[in-house]
Order: sequence, then structure tokens, then C-alpha cells
Amino acid sequence: MNDKFTPKPSPSGIVYGDVAFWLALGGSVIAVIGMFLYFTGNQFFNAESLFNGLCRGQRANQIWHNASPARDVLSGHWYLKHLGTSDGISMLGIGIACLAGVFGAWGSFATMISKKDNPTIFIVFVLIISLLLTASALGWISIH
Amino acid sequence: MTFLDRVLKVNTSSSPASSSKSSGDPGTIKQVIEIMLIVIIAASAGFGSILAAIGTEASALSPTLFFVGLILVCAAIGIFAVLAGVGGGVIFTPLFMGFTNIDSYIIRSTGLFVATVGALIAARPFLRKGIANIRLLYTAAVPYAVFAVIGSLLAGYMKTAMGPASEAYIQGALGMLVIGIGVLFVLKKNSEYPDVKQVDPFTASMNLPMPYFEDSLGKVVHYKLKRARVALVLFCGVGLMSGLFGLGAGWAMVPVFNLVMLAPLKVAATCSKVMISIGDTAAVWPYIQGGGMFPLFAVPCMIGMVIGTLIGTKIMLRVKAGFIRPLIVIVMFTSGIRLLMKALG
Repeated sequence: MNDKFTPKPSPSGIVYGDVAFWLALGGSVIAVIGMFLYFTGNQFFNAESLFNGLCRGQRANQIWHNASPARDVLSGHWYLKHLGTSDGISMLGIGIACLAGVFGAWGSFATMISKKDNPTIFIVFVLIISLLLTASALGWISIH
Repeated sequence: MTFLDRVLKVNTSSSPASSSKSSGDPGTIKQVIEIMLIVIIAASAGFGSILAAIGTEASALSPTLFFVGLILVCAAIGIFAVLAGVGGGVIFTPLFMGFTNIDSYIIRSTGLFVATVGALIAARPFLRKGIANIRLLYTAAVPYAVFAVIGSLLAGYMKTAMGPASEAYIQGALGMLVIGIGVLFVLKKNSEYPDVKQVDPFTASMNLPMPYFEDSLGKVVHYKLKRARVALVLFCGVGLMSGLFGLGAGWAMVPVFNLVMLAPLKVAATCSKVMISIGDTAAVWPYIQGGGMFPLFAVPCMIGMVIGTLIGTKIMLRVKAGFIRPLIVIVMFTSGIRLLMKALG
């Protein structure tokens, strides 16, 4: 072991970490703001029905039926059409937090290309990961 | 300066001497143990509050009590998840599925979400310090993520073609495998900083090792890796199992990094955490798009997980890697027993 120098961490790793951290944190803050707005009214879900449904062990689709104005599960990015409600804002925050990894991977890919701090094989690896995460976020890959 | 500030204050000095002295100080270890005990007590109180709330009539429930309880429990989960190098979901999901009657789809959805957020928050300091090896984790993330997707598609096919009985066989086999890995961890010596005498040509050609400065030792850790080919095959298996069961796989990633590739334990744990942030991102979106996420439940859990992850990350940067080894073993045994119980119905 050589104690004479401190190795510099990879810039592409730092970019992934920074992008992921700030987007996750930003999304979390938006989600918390939406949560506070819950108590000011203008909710998408009926809070009482939702809370009772959770505690009584109702299935997700039952809760949607009882607590949402749509009376059914809204699939896809439903919250984008309901950003005027506290639930819509909270879900937007959750969505942004979950996109953090996707943008982090693309940022890491771009940094690897610009900085050339890693061998080409790792650029290919991070490109594959970025494409996979993007496809998942867009709903092109069904996990279930 | 408060007690918490003193405990969590990260040593930013690059001086090996000062780092070594502070992290090896018995007072610091005592303070870390104290704060862990406080968190455990707070989490127990929180979980008790949730159980008490759910045990009462719905009309008498206190949402405030429920929210506070969720935040405390998830803060504790966040701390242990970071220290053990696993996703919070693998702790959160069995706890809530076992002790509350909340719909499992909602629990799994929220569990994946809190694990993702926890891992995303944790990734930054590990990558900035260079402990998490970006080459190693991206190399491992490719087979892991690709086979996780294949596994999840396979799970859907098996459920349709063979029914729920097929899942019981696979869960039983997985449970025994995880317990076996836990036993291996207990029996295996010198896994904190494994000694690699000879590197195979394939691993050498990948040029994976990246040295890092270890605060707790006060010096730069240079390490070698081996058996990359075997590890890549194993990550295919780990990804396949993760996709099949919808669980995070930090408990399986750490042994592959540490026992197969012989990466230092802290490198294995931090790489695993960053990989969870990648893998769970792919897995959480179908749940969101399928309507399994409710902000009223997910947001308090997320707040607690973020707080816990930040505390856990600070602790992890200060303590020696051996501190987390018993936690990893506990998580493995717990996961294995839980899977066997599920397999036996």
C-alpha cells in the first residue's frame, strides 16, 4: 500500500452520484410539499377513504375505486394530468426521484465520453444501462 | 455542538494520521453504538405506534401517529440498509408484509421506491470518496439489470403456465441459497481485506481495481480482484432471481463482490448500494405506472428513509468495514428464513 497520494475518484462516478443525489433530493422535496398541501384540501384521493383502505388491507384497485374520483386505476403517468392536486404534486416528486438513476446514468455516459477517464468497454456498459433504465421509465419494458 | 453533530461529524481531513486516530477512537465507536441504540428504540416505538393504530377501528386512527411511526421505522431501516449494503426494500417489505395488513402490492411498490431513494442518496458520498468502484459496478450492473428484466418476464410466464406452486419451489431453493451464503460469510476469514495472490488473465484485462483512501485506516487501499468471469455469470443468476421474486439483491451482490471477486468488504458494500440504485430504478417504474403507489403512504416512508440513509452514510464513512459484517450476516439469515417460510406457505 502506498500512502503518499490520495487517488482521485472517477469523474463519471461523481457525475452519476451528484445527478442521482440532487434529483432524488429535489423530487423528495416536491413530494413532501405535495404532502403538506394534502392538509389544505384539493386532494385527488379522498384521504379518509385511502387511509382506511390501507389499514383495512384493501387491494390497490379497491382503494383506487373507493378513494379516487376516477373510480378506477389510472395507469401510466396519471399524475401529469392532475398537477393541480396535492397527490399529483407528490407523485410528480416521486416520479422525479425515480428518474434520478436514469439521468445519472446518462450523465455518467456523457462524462465518460468527454473526460475519457475510463476504457471504452465501460462506456459501452454504461450506455447499455442507460438505455435499459430509459426503456423501463418509458414503460417499454414490463417487469410484471 | 450537539451530541448528534459530534457523532455524525465527518472527518474531512486528508491527513492519514488524524483520520486513523479519530476513527479508531473507542469513544467514537461508543457514540456510534449509542446512536444505534437510540434509533432502535425510536423505531420500536414507531412500529409499535403503527401496530397500535392498525389494531384499532379505522375511524379512531390518528394519521399523525401513523406518519410519525412510519418516519421513525423507515429512518431505522435506512441506517441499517446503508451499513449492511442492501436495499431498504429487503428489510421494509418483510416487516410490513409480516406485521401489517396493508396490501402486499402497495408494500412492494413502496418498498422498492424507498430502497431506490435510499440508494440514490447514498450513492453520492461513496462515489465522491471513490470507495464505490465505478468500473466494477457498471461491469456487474449490465448482466444484473439485463437478467433482472429477463427474470421478471420469466416470472410472469411461470405464474401463467405453472401456477403459484412453481414460485414456492424457487423461493425454497433461494432461501436455502441465501442461508448458505450467510453461513459462508460466518465461516470465511479475512474477507474484510481479502488477500489476492494471483489474478487471472481475464480479470487483469478488464482493469477493474481503483484504489481509494480509507479514512478508518488512514491510508490508501490498493486491492486486486479475480474471478471476474465467474462473477459475471453469478450476477446473471442474481439478476434472474431478483427479477423472478421482485426483491432487491444487495444481500447476494455483496458476497459475489467480496467472496468471489475478493473485493474489500467496504468496496463490495458500497458498489452493491450503487447497483441497487440502478437495478431498482428499472423495477420501480412498472409499479408506479400500474397504480401501486399512494403518496399518503409512500412519502412518510421516503422521508424516514432519506433521514436514515444520511445518518447511515455518515456512520459508514467513519467506521471500519468489519463493523458491518455481522449486519450483513443477519440480513442474509433473515432473508433466507423469510423466503423459506414463504415457500412453506
